Amino acid sequence: MSSVAAPSKQAIKSLYHNMLRSSQSFSSYNFREYFERRTKETFRAMQNESDPNKLRDMYADALKESTSLRRGAIVNQLYGGWKVAVEVPEKPEEILERGNN
Amino acid sequence: MLARVSRTVARRANVTRTLCGSRRSFVQPSGADRASVVDVPSTYQEENHFAPSPDMLGFKLEAPQRDSSATEQVRPIYLDLQATTPVDPRVLDAMLPYFTDQYGNPHSRTHAYGWEAEKAVEVARKNVADIIGADTKDIVFTSGATETNNMAIKGVARFHKEKKRHVITTQTEHKCVLDSCRKLSEEGFDITYLPVQKNGVIDLAELEAAIRPDTSLISIMAVNNETGVIQPLKEIGAIARKHRGVYFHTDAAQAVGKIPLDVNEMNIDLMSISGHKLYGPKGVGAAYVRRRPRVRLEPILSGGGQERGLRSGTLPTALVVGLGEAARIAQKEMARDHARIKLLSDRLIQGINAEVEQVVRNGDENGYPGCVNLSFSYVEGESLLMALKEIALSSGSACTSASLEPSYVLRALGAAEDMAHSSLRFGIGRFTTEAEIDFVVKRIVATVHRLREMSPLWEMVQEGIDINSINWSQH
Repeated sequence: MSSVAAPSKQAIKSLYHNMLRSSQSFSSYNFREYFERRTKETFRAMQNESDPNKLRDMYADALKESTSLRRGAIVNQLYGGWKVAVEVPEKPEEILERGNN
Repeated sequence: MLARVSRTVARRANVTRTLCGSRRSFVQPSGADRASVVDVPSTYQEENHFAPSPDMLGFKLEAPQRDSSATEQVRPIYLDLQATTPVDPRVLDAMLPYFTDQYGNPHSRTHAYGWEAEKAVEVARKNVADIIGADTKDIVFTSGATETNNMAIKGVARFHKEKKRHVITTQTEHKCVLDSCRKLSEEGFDITYLPVQKNGVIDLAELEAAIRPDTSLISIMAVNNETGVIQPLKEIGAIARKHRGVYFHTDAAQAVGKIPLDVNEMNIDLMSISGHKLYGPKGVGAAYVRRRPRVRLEPILSGGGQERGLRSGTLPTALVVGLGEAARIAQKEMARDHARIKLLSDRLIQGINAEVEQVVRNGDENGYPGCVNLSFSYVEGESLLMALKEIALSSGSACTSASLEPSYVLRALGAAEDMAHSSLRFGIGRFTTEAEIDFVVKRIVATVHRLREMSPLWEMVQEGIDINSINWSQH
């Protein structure tokens, strides 16, 4: 049984924004993409959830995860941050002109 | 609250922390106008963080390797998830308290440091047990799947060595299993290495036929690390159960957290679990040793009798907690991850097959989707790997090591030698994105086409000449 009362719409919204902001602050590409996508998926599922008990449990889980996510983002900023090959915009192949020798 | 901190800021933080270890040389002090950073995150200014100050007497800090090259270096896309997986940030977050303030030895009985460490270890044990459907007391923490494999195979075989001298395994097992069996055969045991069919799955009839009255152990891995083939564990467990005294060990390092496993349903007596294949830390693993009916084995490590006497030694609390947390997260995310990995895997295979012909997938199509092993005909494996510098991949052959032998797993599958040399293993995991898959597909297609253009064999094949019918003349 979760410890929070039935979460209000405002509480869910603010938790969503907090978690999304934490996810977007990861320095590492893979973690950033994963947590962004996962946060959106979790909260979309919460939006479509009609059973109030389940909703309460989901909210409690998300609350626990949000603190862990925030700390994870800070640690990742301290140590992570190199760009991955897929993030770097591709340089167009240099077109070599043939001289008139 | 948490703004997206720019990379340069994070780099400067590195500089401040690594002050003590850097070399120093005499230069003019540089002013704030030369600094590429304007501010640090607000969280830094609260603590007494060491920042370069004017009274440093002109010492300049040699920026460590990481710092200067950080912004220029571009890291390759990681697609080698069978070799190891990144540590999930949530797992790291669970581990850090046990590296900072809660550093007690879990075997200390007399004070709070020990009690809290022990409590954390027991929670981790429960998490690991839950993911395989076992009882908490059956889990023994080790230093990794290699140690567990050694412990299981050598331990069981040596314990029963009076009456039972036969061990059965397959040709596609991991090197540590094969090496343990080789050591046992030097001690006088008989080892049967079962062959596999073309798709990598073992033949159950052959297995049944190989069991003798003096067989003590069958060791078959759950998911192969090179080809992703999933063995029929339930059927093998049923066969082992039929014969009294035959224990079934499975190396589930690649399988735990990825496919659903249940030791009771599959009649598994011993199982090897690896931490770093599960988005956990390296250096920790677990063994499942069944207690009902009891599996007796001779421990490798003698010592204080920790872990039921099977594995003596102080438990690395932080690593164990990491393994437990990784197992808990994997249990929760298994269905979600599996669906997504299947999607990405299909995208990769279809993307490559649409543009490139004569690509062979090694291993069963119904294997684990996160491990795709493809062979490209008429393309040399090493040149393919060298051209794919921006992608971290593994080749199926061991040609990157000293020997030029193709991988024994592919050989057991019946792949021709040239195909074995040109195989690539793509590992897809929880953190892989569609953009990375698309990038890889594009790069592979371009490289394979370029290499094939240069290949005379390919030219001949295009003209319709059958390569096998050519009589290569001696010079």
